Amino acid sequence: MWGEQKLIWYKRILVMLVTVLFAMTLTFILIRIMPGDPVDSMAMDMVRTQGMNYEEAYRQAKAILNYDPEVPIIVQYFSYVKQLARGSLGQSMIYKTSVVDIIGGSLPWTIFLLSISTLLAFLVGIIAGMYVAWKRKTILDPILSVYSSVMSSIPNYIVGLLLILVFSVWLKKLPSSGAYDTSVEPGFNWKFFGNVFKHSLMPIGAFFLTTVGNWALAMKGNAISVLGEDYVNAAKVRGLKQRRIILSYVGRNAILPLVTNLAITFGMMFGGSPLVENVFAYPGVGYFLNQSVGRRDFMLMQGMFLTITVAVVISNFIADILNSILDPRLR
Amino acid sequence: MRNITVEFMLRQGTIKAVENVSLDIFKGEILGVVGESGSGKSTLASTILRMVSSPGRIKEGEIYFEGKELMKMPEDEFNQFRWSNIAMVFQAAQNALNPVLKIKDHFIETAKAHTRMSENDIIEKASKLLEYVRLQPKQVLDSYPHQLSGGMRQRVIIALSLILDPKILILDEPTTALDVITQAYIMDLLAKIHVDLGITMVFLTHDLSLIAKIADRVAVMYAGKIVEIGTVEEIFYGPLHPYTKGLVLAIPSLVDDITARRPIPGSPPNMLDLPSGCRFAPRCGYHMIEYCDGTVQAELIEAKPGHFTTCLEWERMME
Amino acid sequence: MRDFFAVICRNRRALWGMIILGIFLLMAVVGPLVVPLDTATSYANRYKLPSWEHPLGTDYAGRDTFQQFIHGSREVITVSFVTAIFTILFAFIVGTTAGIMGGKVDAIITFITDIMLTVPSFPVMMILSLAVRITDPISFGLVLSIWSWAGLARAIRSQILSLRKRDFIEASRVLGLKVTHIIFAEILPNITSYIAINFIMIMRNAITASVGLMVLGLVPFSSTHWGMMLQMAVGASGAMYGSSAIVYLLVPIVAITLFQMGCLFFASGLDEALNPRLRTQ
Repeated sequence: MWGEQKLIWYKRILVMLVTVLFAMTLTFILIRIMPGDPVDSMAMDMVRTQGMNYEEAYRQAKAILNYDPEVPIIVQYFSYVKQLARGSLGQSMIYKTSVVDIIGGSLPWTIFLLSISTLLAFLVGIIAGMYVAWKRKTILDPILSVYSSVMSSIPNYIVGLLLILVFSVWLKKLPSSGAYDTSVEPGFNWKFFGNVFKHSLMPIGAFFLTTVGNWALAMKGNAISVLGEDYVNAAKVRGLKQRRIILSYVGRNAILPLVTNLAITFGMMFGGSPLVENVFAYPGVGYFLNQSVGRRDFMLMQGMFLTITVAVVISNFIADILNSILDPRLR
Repeated sequence: MRNITVEFMLRQGTIKAVENVSLDIFKGEILGVVGESGSGKSTLASTILRMVSSPGRIKEGEIYFEGKELMKMPEDEFNQFRWSNIAMVFQAAQNALNPVLKIKDHFIETAKAHTRMSENDIIEKASKLLEYVRLQPKQVLDSYPHQLSGGMRQRVIIALSLILDPKILILDEPTTALDVITQAYIMDLLAKIHVDLGITMVFLTHDLSLIAKIADRVAVMYAGKIVEIGTVEEIFYGPLHPYTKGLVLAIPSLVDDITARRPIPGSPPNMLDLPSGCRFAPRCGYHMIEYCDGTVQAELIEAKPGHFTTCLEWERMME
Repeated sequence: MRDFFAVICRNRRALWGMIILGIFLLMAVVGPLVVPLDTATSYANRYKLPSWEHPLGTDYAGRDTFQQFIHGSREVITVSFVTAIFTILFAFIVGTTAGIMGGKVDAIITFITDIMLTVPSFPVMMILSLAVRITDPISFGLVLSIWSWAGLARAIRSQILSLRKRDFIEASRVLGLKVTHIIFAEILPNITSYIAINFIMIMRNAITASVGLMVLGLVPFSSTHWGMMLQMAVGASGAMYGSSAIVYLLVPIVAITLFQMGCLFFASGLDEALNPRLRTQ
């Protein structure tokens, strides 16, 4: 029995690795098929900004990008892989720092934003969904329905725009860009945390408002079907208290499928992060991906894309693990 | 139970699943309640524990138990009352267990909801009960429901029903979802429990032959009303209602001539559109147009001491 | 056919969905023929509030918003439509191939779709927008659909696998009917409802993605597409900061939201209408 299980896990890890490998290869290919010569454009940029002469700039660009258009593709691919193995993802053309550094600086912000939004929406959603399912006729039910229909139809970045309109432009109460004011020193102090909090309120709000309705509806659906199950009835006839039934019977059984959804959703939101982060100029992974695409910074593009893909892969993996832990039927 | 009426309000109309039913359950007996699906027997049983599921509601009636009127008890008090005095095993009870809880948790939570027993005490008692129903406590207590077979789960449910030493145990078709061999096993077990613990049992089933083995008295239900009550011998050897007679005649037996079996003609009644007189009239062989079809609402007549029937032609049946 | 409409009308939500989509469709098809597009800029006229002359006010260059809105609807619907067609086409081809051929082909396809499902599609679209010059609805649709068909392909594949096991497929095979006949006559009708619903939902996602790409400034598509209107309102012209400009900002937002809601509502009714087994008669 155990041997079987181990085999499944090995397979999953293999798939994960292959996916990451594929992502790497994909970025490699995508960049090679771009119209125009990235080395050339980088070289031109260097000529412009640093006043180098073209040959020198071209040589340097080749080194930085680790890309020589004259060399056959296979050789290029291998040097790319070698570079990765060395732990380097190249250097960003725009920011002139190593891509790894940029990832290190931006990833925490995105994770911060996404994890709080997702958890908050999840918690509020399942409580609302549970409430609506338990108390069959309540005014929250139609409200939930309408809310969900509308809010899931407005893209989250547009909600972000509207929030900025209301809170930054009209009410002038919240800052509309950045993760924290440049005047504040980052550090473990309340002033910094408070500032970060203020800056994150609206982005988190945008994510939260557009997803909470869906969580609530999903929970409501699950809870209603669990409520129809025999074991809930049997619990009532055994004289168990309402609270126990709600928590251990309906709650636990209804949440089960949603928890794995949580991890998967978290991963998917990484994919959508460029949009919201752009609206708020929030220095997360999506923001930098967007910058790199807009300004053709190929090294940065590769790095960010890879980061996002790895994040999704890990989230899916966690979802798998969670699923097998939480459902006793799968153990 | 006196004058119990339970109705279901549906879009198409109101169904009286149980209409004006009165029944006595004697201490220490095994009472069988027989009827086809839709006869109202499950609803009647659910009424005792106030577990009628919506859109049904108990319209009227009283239930007296040890001097207390159950319908009037406040919900909190009644919740405590449930299981500790009267327990019920539902139909297809294999699904009555929470898939995310271990068996021992089921016992613990039930006992804790009613008493102040310690966990160890609860587990000790549960182990004894599990042994009693011929299961291995050590294995079973730590298992999850899906790890046990259907028959095992049924026995767990029975053990669970006994955890608070209830005075009455109601069983709704306890063996329908099981194979014949397990069925016999469970029936055997229930008989043993009755003898050893002296618990009053109420057995609901559509299978008259099952009742024959185990019951003391039998009540027969049809279309929401009780049509006959009597001892098991009276019901089998001298039924005083055409429906009962039909049921008895329809039971196949290993020793009898199969051609002597007679099915009951006609089809089950449409609960939305019941005949105004005797509800069995359309299918009855003793049917008399003058009064069986009238607006007479049948009452139970005591034909012989302890033997009740609603058939107005019962004297003819005795021939 | 009448059956279909009867079911939709009974479900109020679905009915509203159909009405909303119908209005937009009408707007897209007929609108540009009826409403002229006056691209003359008139700085003095910028950001006027709605009036008889300009029902939805004017934009940052004095052009009529209403006209742009109507013309934009055609762009929006065309792009979404094309995306949906491409996506379903790819998904159908891949899904049925995997489902019918089975074996090694199936394994390879499943592997590929697994990877495509993991790598998030929006970043891919972002990068592709660099590689492909998007100038018309076809190229836009292609870019939007190229990474989106994996999920549907999987679903089609599993539908086919389950249908294969069902009796009537066996019966068809026994009767000696050709594979293509089996596909079109037997399998298709069963997945039609599924595909129809997906069609609507893909259109819905296509709008979010296309508008997203435009708001990010990566795809400067035609100037009347609602996404471009939004992008111009936010980025280029300070619509956020002027009070009468709010109309210009809100028009694309409300339009997009309404369209998405229409799709949502209609799709929920489609299932019931096209899947006879679900109907509670």
